[in-house]
Amino acid sequence: MKKYLYAFKFEVMTTLQYAFNFIGKMFSLFLMIFVFMNLWNFMYDDPSQAINGYTKFQMIWYVSISELIYFITRGRQTCEEISRHIKNGNIAYTINKPYDYVVYTLFTLLGRSFVSSAFYTAFIMIIGSAFTGSLPALTSIELLGVILVFALAITISLLLVIAIGLFSFIFEDSSPMYWIYSKIWLICGTLFPIEFFPVWAQNILKFTPIYVITGPSRLIVNFNAEAFVQTLIAQGIYLVFAFGLCELIYRKGMKKLNVNGG
Amino acid sequence: MLTAAKNQIKVTLLTTKYAVMREMLNKATFLSNVIFMILNNSTFLIQWFLLLSIKESIGGYDIHKILYLWGLASLSYGVAHFFFKGAFHIGEIINEGKLDSYMVQPKNILISVSTASCSPSAMGDIIYGFVLFFVNDPSVVNFLLYTLFGITGGLIVTSVAIILNSLSFWFARTDSIADAGMNLMTTFATYPGTIFKGATKIILYTIVPLGATAYIPIDILTNFDWKYTLIVLGVTVLFVFLAFFIFYRGLKRYASSNLMSARI
Repeated sequence: MKKYLYAFKFEVMTTLQYAFNFIGKMFSLFLMIFVFMNLWNFMYDDPSQAINGYTKFQMIWYVSISELIYFITRGRQTCEEISRHIKNGNIAYTINKPYDYVVYTLFTLLGRSFVSSAFYTAFIMIIGSAFTGSLPALTSIELLGVILVFALAITISLLLVIAIGLFSFIFEDSSPMYWIYSKIWLICGTLFPIEFFPVWAQNILKFTPIYVITGPSRLIVNFNAEAFVQTLIAQGIYLVFAFGLCELIYRKGMKKLNVNGG
Repeated sequence: MLTAAKNQIKVTLLTTKYAVMREMLNKATFLSNVIFMILNNSTFLIQWFLLLSIKESIGGYDIHKILYLWGLASLSYGVAHFFFKGAFHIGEIINEGKLDSYMVQPKNILISVSTASCSPSAMGDIIYGFVLFFVNDPSVVNFLLYTLFGITGGLIVTSVAIILNSLSFWFARTDSIADAGMNLMTTFATYPGTIFKGATKIILYTIVPLGATAYIPIDILTNFDWKYTLIVLGVTVLFVFLAFFIFYRGLKRYASSNLMSARI
């Protein structure tokens, strides 16, 4: 475990060295949030009106937090990186290393996400408050609960990105798979709570990982103990599932890997 | 003059042809990229069906106009990235001192750099743009106008990319500015201009030329007006001219890194 914590710490320090890069990325995050704030401003005739159970205040905070998770863990580059390692055979170097590739990659990504979470969360709190006038009302215990499910959502999301990247063992390029996954995740959960979908679609979406990844967004606008426990249990199940999937693809893939020396 | 232009077009078409052939070496990957891009774009229709189920029209945009908006955005983006992908990497090429191999060619440098590579998935954007058109409005006149606006939109998007990437002639590491600018164009191009107010609206019709790539063409397609068509054409010419002007002004400052490279 110690070696993975070193990998985490190393990535945190490296990311902090390039903290300036966050400014440019914050602009992209701001754009996404700005467009959606304008859109929802247009959709709500009256701030107290509720659309599918969400008031304008709740909707703006829901979208802000779900966009935040999407932004922190979107993994186009990670997928391409893993794909590249598999295609050029560099992944073979991991065989003789004293670590598990999946766990090592996860901790590296967690290190990166830890720093970006701090920057982007502060940024989102500022712009969210500027648009809505206040922060969501949460007690300290509720806030701790939200932070816990937020951390688990980030971990599950990163594991799913790793799994998609590892699919390059089977397909030559897994990037198109990531495009589809990210767009479904964006539309069916990030930009719209599942309550906006027809009942039949809600029943399907509740069993997808998107539901557990967007758990913190639902809790931040409407915290209740029952929903918190349900989200936590579902996240536990998905954490095991996503990790198991990564290990399965990696081990199966490494068995059939052919690398030319050079 | 005419022969020179004819030769330039011939070379440009050949460069594009070879860039496409290079990408099609692995046909399965090329096709999967195209198909997945079409599917990828289609997911956004869900968003609009959901929004339009809440309100019949969003800022005067009904499903008919939304399909035009998405179709034109895809088509412009596809034209820009399929035919001129190189334009989006000019900053990188300048920073790495790789312009030398283009400068020794006897043809226009900017066109050579811009057409040197092609994005296979952008073909998916082009196909998707036309599919949306035929689902929405299969009339001949509008088809011609729609194709024209797809091309003008593509040229404007490419010009903006060239202008932003050319900043690398003057400043180091401007790639994040270019990325942010392109991000801004793509994000706003897929939402009705009418939902934005005040300063944002003014910016979208001026500095960020989305008025000419999306909003005005949609108005023309639903209610034809010659004057607006000429404005779109004028803005396109202006942006293309600006792109050439800024690139060649910057090129005078370019310093080679003596990097040996071959274009294969």
